[in-house]
Amino acid sequence: MADTLNRLTEVFHDVFDDDDIVLTRQTTASDIEAWDSLMHVTLMLQVEAAFGVRFSSSDVTGLKDVGQLVDLIDAKAGR
Amino acid sequence: MSRRDDLFAYLLLEHPRSLRGVQEARDVDPERFDRVADRFLGWAEAARGADYLSACADAMVRFSNDVILAQARYEATGAYEHSSFDHCNDEVYGKREVMDDYLWGVFLTNFCWAHHMEISAFYEDRFLARLPASPAMVEIAPGHGGWGVWAMHTRADASLQGFDISPSSIAIASSVAQAAGVSDRVTYTQRNALDLSAMPEGIADAVICSFLIEHLEQPDDLMAVIGRLLKPGGWAFVTGALTAAQVDHIYEFRRESELVLMAEKHGLRVCETLSVSPKRILPKAKFLPRSMALLCQRTTHGFW
Ligand SMILES: C[S@@+](CC[C@H](N)C(=O)[O-])C[C@H]1O[C@@H](n2cnc3c(N)ncnc32)[C@H](O)[C@@H]1O
Repeated sequence: MADTLNRLTEVFHDVFDDDDIVLTRQTTASDIEAWDSLMHVTLMLQVEAAFGVRFSSSDVTGLKDVGQLVDLIDAKAGR
Repeated sequence: MSRRDDLFAYLLLEHPRSLRGVQEARDVDPERFDRVADRFLGWAEAARGADYLSACADAMVRFSNDVILAQARYEATGAYEHSSFDHCNDEVYGKREVMDDYLWGVFLTNFCWAHHMEISAFYEDRFLARLPASPAMVEIAPGHGGWGVWAMHTRADASLQGFDISPSSIAIASSVAQAAGVSDRVTYTQRNALDLSAMPEGIADAVICSFLIEHLEQPDDLMAVIGRLLKPGGWAFVTGALTAAQVDHIYEFRRESELVLMAEKHGLRVCETLSVSPKRILPKAKFLPRSMALLCQRTTHGFW
């Protein structure tokens, strides 16, 4: 779980081109200025590549915060 | 609070990632956005009841995310995901639970997507403004019905026949027409657009055919139907998507001229066009998704 959050943080740094982003399970789109729907999909595809998982469109739309994303990745990756 | 204020408040609370796009849509033309948004949302409320706002806004966000996701996958593969009309008919148009949500989502994109707000302006200023007296109109693939109902709302002397392949469309468009108080002047029939070639020629003063052509394996046949239905001198508002993926887009238009040439081939003079794209696109995109609107007139002479 902590592992997933760490790797996810790297993906966020890469996608948003910002190494200062600090993720917690509570982080939402309101905390990261550039996190709009377009960047969200970009992020999700990067997450797919980084973790070897695939998301459905309802996965993509339903996520409310980073905690839910971590849980989804762990569930999909069978962790 | 107006309905559009309710929409912004709801998005802020429930879908913060989608707020920016809708704000951009309002920035295109605030006066028009407010007028169109309040009217469309008012029809949605009358058609759907008390939960209209969450139901429609959720549907719009889902639809928009699906479109972005389809575009991202198209960027990766270089092709639209599906190419079979029958597949889309079975999996999308024919499935009530999928299609009802999809159509309410699309209904809101007419003003919630900035580039479609520009198409709405084109529709109102360039097409509706040109309709002749007592126009007999045909709407091909009305979906949610918003375009045609807007025409009926604007022009009390107009009448409209709509044809869509989807049972969801017939139900939703009828409810929107009812909500707008125009149902005595409209009929909606479930029918494949390409079968309209069997209708008598030249029955329409105006044709609306918005975002159907990229859903067909043989788009050319649709343009032939539009040309055939129009009276000489009659007007058509036609829109299509170019290099813009969606779960049910199967014909990939790449250049604006493809649509123009297709229209010309079937006896239409292309008087005005508008090609618009979203304000923000995927990083490092190879394809620029565009929505194109054409205002066409059925020729009366050889070339015009
Ligand atoms: C993207 S929606 C467009 C709705 C609306 N015209 C608009 O511009 O927002 C596409 C519509 O085309 C309809 N459709 C798809 N193939 C069709 C066909 N062959 N004949 C009639 N309608 C069709 C679908 O059922 C759906 O309502």
